[in-house]
Amino acid sequence: MTVPGVLTVTVRIGAAPADVFPYFVNPALMIRWIGEWADLHPEPGGRFALDFSKTPVRGEYVEVEPPRRVVFTWGVAGHDSLPPGSTTVEVVLTADGSDTVVELFHHDLPVGERDRHLEGWTTMLGRLVPLLRFAGPESTAAS
Amino acid sequence: MSAVHGSAAAGAPDQSAPDQGDPADAVLRALADPHRRQILRLVRGGELAAGEIASHFDATQQAVSHHLQVLARAGLLSERRDGVRRLYALDPLALDPVREMLTELWPSALERLKYVVEQDQKNKKKTVEPTKAGRRP
Repeated sequence: MTVPGVLTVTVRIGAAPADVFPYFVNPALMIRWIGEWADLHPEPGGRFALDFSKTPVRGEYVEVEPPRRVVFTWGVAGHDSLPPGSTTVEVVLTADGSDTVVELFHHDLPVGERDRHLEGWTTMLGRLVPLLRFAGPESTAAS
Repeated sequence: MSAVHGSAAAGAPDQSAPDQGDPADAVLRALADPHRRQILRLVRGGELAAGEIASHFDATQQAVSHHLQVLARAGLLSERRDGVRRLYALDPLALDPVREMLTELWPSALERLKYVVEQDQKNKKKTVEPTKAGRRP
């Protein structure tokens, strides 16, 4: 089901949740897949700072429950339509055999008049599907 | 599309994007001015006439009018005429480039995460196995 203002992306990784989780809380591991600099304090209220492509992403950790769930806020410093703390990223790691299914929900994205643009979201999520080569059933349902 | 080869190679397609003109740029430039951000806050609640917007500022009507034009050109404001009045409203579609930045970001980032974790797992096995096999004194 498509929820306006929430972006959902799913990926399957050939490793256990305990092996994947550190990549969301350890700065050295984080910047290997997103951003070029990170300052992370993975505890509720702890700092989440990440620079990628010169974009200063700032927020704080909300929930840190290794190895299955991590939630942090996400905004861009100095960016009025996406200020720090304005959106929330929820990551859920679920073991599936020897793999981990990573579901990422980006909540509270600026969608303006949400209901009117539900259609726009459906289109955009539909465009994402080809990118999700290892997507689970959730993202297939978005098309 | 070729395989992901770690962060340096994976960043390459992103760097070619400015050649095509980044639609987020005009929006970010328009947002760089505090007066223009204030205007967006004013119209967030609903459509306002140019005069009503100008009354919130010490600046001249001309200066405010200039800011309104910049915001409209960036697509952040929609503009319509009602008799002699010009009415401005926030255009929610203008946030698309920002949203698109994120909709492109997460799928590619998570594909990189997958690659990095799976490579690390392979390397871990390689280094662990010889140790098990016979490094004990």
